Amino acid sequence: MHPHREGIMEFRKTTLSNGMAIVGEINPAAQSAAVGFFVRTGSRDETPQINGVSHFLEHMLFKGNDRLSALEVNEAFDRTGAKFNAFTSEENTVYYAAVLPRFLAEVTELWTELLRPALRQSDFDMEKNVILEEIAMYKDTPHFDVMDKCRALHFGDHPCGASVLGTNESIIGLTSEAMRGYFDLRYSPNNIVAACCGNLDFEATCELIERQCGDWKATEAARPLSYFGGTFQKHREERANLVREHICMMSAGMGMQDQRRFAMSLLATIVGDDTGSLYFWELVDPAIAETAVMQAEAMDGVGAMYSYIRCSPKDAPRAGEIVRHIFEDLASTGITQAELETARNKVLSALTIKSEQPMGRLVNLGFNWVYSREYRSVADDIASIRAITVDDVNSLIGEFDLRSFTSYSIAPEDAAAAT
Amino acid sequence: MANKLDKHVLKNGMVILGEPMPGVGSAAFDFLVPCGSAMLPEGRCGAAAVIQDWIFRGAGERNSRQLIDALDGLGLHRSTSVSTYHLGLGAALEASNLSAALELYADVIRRPRLEVDQFELSRQLAVHEVIGLDDDPRQKVMVRLYEQFYPEPFGRPGIGKLDDLEALRPLDAATIVERTFDPAGTIFSVAGKYDFDAVCRQMERLFEGTGGKGRPEITPGSAGQRYLHVPHAGAQVHIGLVTKAPPITSQRYYDINVAVSVLSGGMSSRLFTEVREKRGLCYAVGARYSTLKHMAGISCYAGTTPEKAQETIDVIRDEFNRLWEGITQDELERAKVGLESSLIMQSESSSARASGIASDYFLLGRVRSLDEIKEKLEVTSVKSVTECLAENRFKDYTLVTIGPRKIEWE
Repeated sequence: MHPHREGIMEFRKTTLSNGMAIVGEINPAAQSAAVGFFVRTGSRDETPQINGVSHFLEHMLFKGNDRLSALEVNEAFDRTGAKFNAFTSEENTVYYAAVLPRFLAEVTELWTELLRPALRQSDFDMEKNVILEEIAMYKDTPHFDVMDKCRALHFGDHPCGASVLGTNESIIGLTSEAMRGYFDLRYSPNNIVAACCGNLDFEATCELIERQCGDWKATEAARPLSYFGGTFQKHREERANLVREHICMMSAGMGMQDQRRFAMSLLATIVGDDTGSLYFWELVDPAIAETAVMQAEAMDGVGAMYSYIRCSPKDAPRAGEIVRHIFEDLASTGITQAELETARNKVLSALTIKSEQPMGRLVNLGFNWVYSREYRSVADDIASIRAITVDDVNSLIGEFDLRSFTSYSIAPEDAAAAT
Repeated sequence: MANKLDKHVLKNGMVILGEPMPGVGSAAFDFLVPCGSAMLPEGRCGAAAVIQDWIFRGAGERNSRQLIDALDGLGLHRSTSVSTYHLGLGAALEASNLSAALELYADVIRRPRLEVDQFELSRQLAVHEVIGLDDDPRQKVMVRLYEQFYPEPFGRPGIGKLDDLEALRPLDAATIVERTFDPAGTIFSVAGKYDFDAVCRQMERLFEGTGGKGRPEITPGSAGQRYLHVPHAGAQVHIGLVTKAPPITSQRYYDINVAVSVLSGGMSSRLFTEVREKRGLCYAVGARYSTLKHMAGISCYAGTTPEKAQETIDVIRDEFNRLWEGITQDELERAKVGLESSLIMQSESSSARASGIASDYFLLGRVRSLDEIKEKLEVTSVKSVTECLAENRFKDYTLVTIGPRKIEWE
C-alpha cells in the first residue's frame, strides 16, 4: 500500500488570536480543493427544551446574513459550481464545500459570512416546516429511525442520547430567541476549526479567514465530557406499516482521543463488514438476514459499537441468538490472525481510495484537529492500522464486552402471522 | 484536464477500455455483462439480482468461503449492480492487487459453480430485498415510477418482481448465465493506476475462446399507468414524477442537461427555491436526468406530509411546465459551472471514471474525453437550451405516489 502523493502533501496550521484554529493539507497536484468549518456543537450540547436546535441552526445558516438573502446565498454558491453542504451530528456541525481551485477563496469567504447569520424570524418560521418534513421523512426510514431510538435507549441520561433532529414537539416549541442564545454561546471562534485540503494557497486562505473572522469574540463554549458504557436495556416496538424487523444493538466503545479506536474499527470490520465478516457468514450468507452490519463510532470522550440487522420477523429470534453466539465466541476465543489481516486490507484500501480526493481528506483533517489538536497524514493512519496485533483486538474485546448491549427493534404488528 | 483513453478489443469481441490517472494509488474496474433486467426472458424479472449473488458463491477452484476470503484478502471493495442493460461487476482496490483480482473475477464470470443448494439462498435474499422495499417508500416510489414510465422491458426493476422470483428455478437462472455471460457483448473498463499492456495480455488469456452472438436487439412494448397510487400508512406521501427527454445519443443532450440543472442542479435551482425555500413544502425535492440508449427521462422525487402533497405536486408540475418558456443567462452560467465542477471532481475518482468510460462506450459506441464534454457544455447558450425545451416540451407525465393519501391528478 503506497500512500499516494505523499511527500508533496504539506501540513500547515495557524491559530487566530480569538482562538479559531486553521489547518490545511496542501496538495498542488489535486484538481480540486475543499474547505470546511467544523463547529464543535451538536445535540449533546442542547437542553431537552431546545432539542434539535443545532440541526435547525445548521439549516438557518443557509438563510444568509445581514447582507445576503437565502436566495442570494444559494446563487452565490451555485455560481462557484461548489459541491457544498452541511451536516449535524450529536457533537459536530460541519459546513463544507469542494470546488475547483479558482473558486476556493469565494466559497471560503461565503462560509465566513454565513457563520454570522441574520436568523430572521420569517426565515425561521418557514424553515421550521422543512425541519418537520425532515423528521417525517426519517419516520418513514425505519433503518434510520431504529438507530436513533436505540441510541436514545443506550445512552439514557447521557447527553449523547439526544436526538439530532429533535421531536415535533421540541421543534414546534422552539423560538428564534432561544436559537440566537444557543448560537451566541456555541459558535464562538475558539469552538470552530477551519480546515482546507487540496490545491490551494494556505497563506491567502488564512489571510482571508483572519480578515473575516478575526474580530469575532470568544465565549466559554464548554462541553463537559463523561464516559458512559450504556444502559443495556432492551425494547421492541411494533408498527402497522412495516413488513421487516429492524434491529439495532449498541455496546460500549472508546472515544476519538483514544488511539485504540483503529483497533476498534478493525474489530467492527471483522464482526460486521458487509462481506466476508462473521455476520456475513452467519446471517447473510445463509439468508437469515438480508442486512447485518457493525460499525464502530468514536465520539468525544465516549464511543459505541453499533449493529444493524434487517430480517423477517419470524427469523428475528434466531438472528438474535446467532449474534449472541458470535459475541460469546469472541469473548472466549478472540479473533484469528487471518481475520485481522483481511480486515486490515479492507480498511487500508478504503482509506487509500477515499484519500484520493481532497473532499475525502477534509473530514479526517478537520476531526483530528477538533478532537485531538493533532495532524495525522494518510501515512500516519496507515502506520497505526498496520501496527495493530491480534492481542490488541482481543484485549479490546475483553474490555468493551460486546455481550453487554442495548437493543431496540421495530417490527411489523402481528409479527407471528407475517413471513 | 486532458485525459487519455486506452482501448483494445479481444479476439472474441470483448472490449477493454482504460483511463490512466496520474498520481493515484488505486485502480477501479467494471465488467458490464449483458445480463441487465431488460435482457432477461419474460417471467424472469429479478433473475439478475439472484445471479449477482449466486456467482460469488463459489467459482473455479474455490468454494464460496474460499472465494470471498480471496476477494476480501485483496482489500477489494465490490460494487455489483443490475441496470437495464447490464449486470455490473465492479471493484476498487489498491493498484498492486489488480492482477490478482482479475484472476478471481474471470473465475466468477467464466466458471461460476452455480450450485443448486446455494441458489436457494441467493433466491431467498433477493425475495427478502423485494419484500423489504415496502419499508423504504422513498426507494420504492422510484422503482415503481420507472416501471410505469418505460415501455416493457426497459422499466423492469433490477431488484425483481416477487412472483417471478418465487417461481425462479436453478436451471432457469443457470441458462440465463450461460446465454448472457457472453464475452462478445461484455465491456471491461479500468481506471486509475494500471499497466494497459499487462492488463490486455492478462484479459486475453483469462477470457480466451470464442464469443457468442453479442447483444440481442430488444423491441419496446407498452408502458404502464399514468398515475399509480400505492397506499401506505406512513408519515409522508412519497412522490415520483417523470417525463420524456432527449437521450444521450441526441444532439440536444448537453442542452437538456443544462436545462435539468436549471430545474434542480444546485440550491438556487427552481425546484429547490419554489418548493422548499419559498413554501417549506418538503425537505427532500430534486430532479435528475437519466438516459438509456434511445430513451431518457427527467424524474423528480419529493416527500411531504399528506396535507401538503397536493400543493407540492402542483408546484413541481408548474416548474416543469414553465421551463420551456426559457432560462436566464445567470441560470445558464450557474448550470455550466456546476456541471463542469462535477466533471472535474469525477476525474479524481477511479471508480467514477471506470464506470463513466464503460457507460459512454456502451451508449455511444465511443468514449468522450473530458475536454470534449467540457467544450460541448461550453457552447450551450440561452438560445440553444430554450430551443431544445421548445422542441421537447414536456407534455405527458407519469406519476406514482406512496403514502396515506392520493392526490388529484388530471
